[in-house]
Amino acid sequence: MVTWAVNALTLPSVEINSKKFCNQIYEGVIMAQNLDLTDIQGNIVKAYGSFGFLKARYLFLSIADGDRGRAFVGAMTTKVTSAERWDKKSSPLVTTNIGFTFSGLQALELPTASLIGFPEDFVMGMKKRKAILGDDGPSDPENWDKIWQETAHIWMSINGKSIEAIEERYQWIVEQIEASGGGVTLLTGHRGEKGEEDLPYQDASVLYDQDGKPSAKEHFGYTDGISDPVFEGQTNNQARVLGRGKLTSTGGWEPLATGEFILGHIDEAMEYPNTAPRPDLLSNNGTYMVYRKLHENVGSFNRFLDEQSESFPGSKEMLAAKFSGRWRDNGAPVVNAPDDASKTEWDKKYAAADPAAQRRMLTDFNYNDDISGAKCPLSAHTRRINPRGSLEFGVKDAFDTPGALVNRRRILRRGLPYGIVKDASKDDGNHGIIFMVINVDIKRQFEFVQQQWINFGNDFKQGNDRDVLLGNQSAQNPGRVVIQVEPGSGKPPHFVTNIPRLVETRGGDYFFIPSITALKMIAGGIIDPT
Amino acid sequence: MATKSGNATALTVLSPIKNGIVNGVSYADITRERCLRLPIHERSPLARVPNTYLARLFILDDVFYESLPGSDSVFNFSEITSIFSDSARRDALPRIDHLKSKYLVFSSNFYGDLDEYLVGMWEKWAYYDKGQQRDVRHIWEHCVAFEAVTDCNRFMDYIKRCQFDAALFFNGSTDDSLQEQLKALYLKQEFSKFVAVHQGKSAAEIQRAFKTFIEQVQPENLDQPSWLPGQSTP
Repeated sequence: MVTWAVNALTLPSVEINSKKFCNQIYEGVIMAQNLDLTDIQGNIVKAYGSFGFLKARYLFLSIADGDRGRAFVGAMTTKVTSAERWDKKSSPLVTTNIGFTFSGLQALELPTASLIGFPEDFVMGMKKRKAILGDDGPSDPENWDKIWQETAHIWMSINGKSIEAIEERYQWIVEQIEASGGGVTLLTGHRGEKGEEDLPYQDASVLYDQDGKPSAKEHFGYTDGISDPVFEGQTNNQARVLGRGKLTSTGGWEPLATGEFILGHIDEAMEYPNTAPRPDLLSNNGTYMVYRKLHENVGSFNRFLDEQSESFPGSKEMLAAKFSGRWRDNGAPVVNAPDDASKTEWDKKYAAADPAAQRRMLTDFNYNDDISGAKCPLSAHTRRINPRGSLEFGVKDAFDTPGALVNRRRILRRGLPYGIVKDASKDDGNHGIIFMVINVDIKRQFEFVQQQWINFGNDFKQGNDRDVLLGNQSAQNPGRVVIQVEPGSGKPPHFVTNIPRLVETRGGDYFFIPSITALKMIAGGIIDPT
Repeated sequence: MATKSGNATALTVLSPIKNGIVNGVSYADITRERCLRLPIHERSPLARVPNTYLARLFILDDVFYESLPGSDSVFNFSEITSIFSDSARRDALPRIDHLKSKYLVFSSNFYGDLDEYLVGMWEKWAYYDKGQQRDVRHIWEHCVAFEAVTDCNRFMDYIKRCQFDAALFFNGSTDDSLQEQLKALYLKQEFSKFVAVHQGKSAAEIQRAFKTFIEQVQPENLDQPSWLPGQSTP
């Protein structure tokens, strides 16, 4: 301390241009959000799929002994993939990430003073939140894969550019599990392709088209993951923010606040998220992840779409697009291609556009010219989960910012499809989406979207209508949505009725994804909340 | 403060509960238990009191403590007084107030005028508790001076004396009569079912079906078919 004081006093006197100095601070330090990318786990910042990692394997483990559990976490930490920026050459062949349930953190013997700082949604876990999530009937936890009848402590993901790379990393993890001498166990009980009930891992993969090329499709045929949110510090590329950040009052786009997705950073309310446990070193640069295995009832979907399109004034593909808000083949936003004729025009324009313009056509839109929902129905899936500025319902400047009711409800979506549809007329089998959500506040973000925007419709003036694709419809309480038409056009709105349950939950839980610093501290047993 | 909004009235009543104990239980706790035991939905006594949009009963134990007055004025009061002794400084702080008794709070939004509504409360408020039929006096029984309430006029006077002027309106209702609103809800739901079943049919078919539909739902008949007050499931 004394040394510092002397040095400070003996600094040569320099004249500081205060204005220039302040500008430097603003431009160089304050304005730019520089994330510690080497401290943040890679799956938070990156959707691995878009970096050529086409396959993944998910593992769930149980900890029997604190000491050996922490030693295992220490070993895993050496391979955990950070969010460090890559180019094509420097990206690895395989990634590894890790997270913990609340029970897992208890098993790792975190101090009580740290444990009590976790939010109640995370403490309870996904099963006990079933009433909020609408996980009833076939989605009830009692019908989940067998593995969820046990308590998972650790989640691990391996994303790979090839199945061989994944297998090699998997074998390494298995060796470490064996070396733990029973301290850590790999849980079995995932359903598999051949009717297996007890697989030790969940595999996932992009789907391939008829020519064997990887696609961005899921099993219902929709193109997925186009408009994932973008937050400050994630990218320097302004083009990626269009349609994916938050809408400004002048119609532009800015990245969302980092604190919506990473703990220890300012969120959209200009506050630090209040879901962070103590000490800061445990929570900073960490986040929460929701893991859900969502089975897709492909037979029901195809039958339902066929039946409904018989009475629909438009093509079957147009109806499928109205359900989702995007056309199945290329993801064209329905708001800019609302019917078959305009879709043909959109496709022509898209084909002629350069890649940057194509990306803009897919993401840079809003619903300002479609308040009535005549183009993109108010119940369409993508409009529900990201209403952009449409909750102002055309009243310009109704709120401080057009996204005032939206910006605190955004979620990063990660994950991949799993399984293969062998018979498109049937529901059974093992195929769907491994759906993972990254957010700092599970209750405020993921659970709100699921409860209010998927399984309810009041915010969109749609009463208790649910999302066609993800809503928890049942035979006793089938779904219904309205496909709006232009007011005054003389055409009647179209009612879609008897919507069956198209997606069922097959398992999942809530996980804490610590920073790499926190992982090392957990492994070392040196979390100190005092 | 306005207690009327169009045809809707907001009634807020604070009735002091006697400070006393019966068999080891305070009057306030006896009253609280009676409130908590009230049946809900269709069986609620409030469902029988005509034109109740939304009502609630609770016991106010004490005023809510917010914190000391803010210190963002020109000078900081507690800093000025800190030059005196600590006890002088504490004496200078505002006193923390408490209620002298606990209060039964009744808050209701309804259609029409207060007098008519209070007559409805006196005459229609009825429910069964532990096999015994109860009326409105059962809830107010232990409130100060309620023993003098022996008929409808005295009940009306009593409630008006306890009335607190607050414009607490429920933001989920129009100011139409309850029957009108329930019928409108019923018609809206039935009509959307009708549309779903008949969409795509010829105009002649739809017209025929619509005539039958109108005969069934009887839009002019507010009594039935309709939703009942308090009804929670179809």
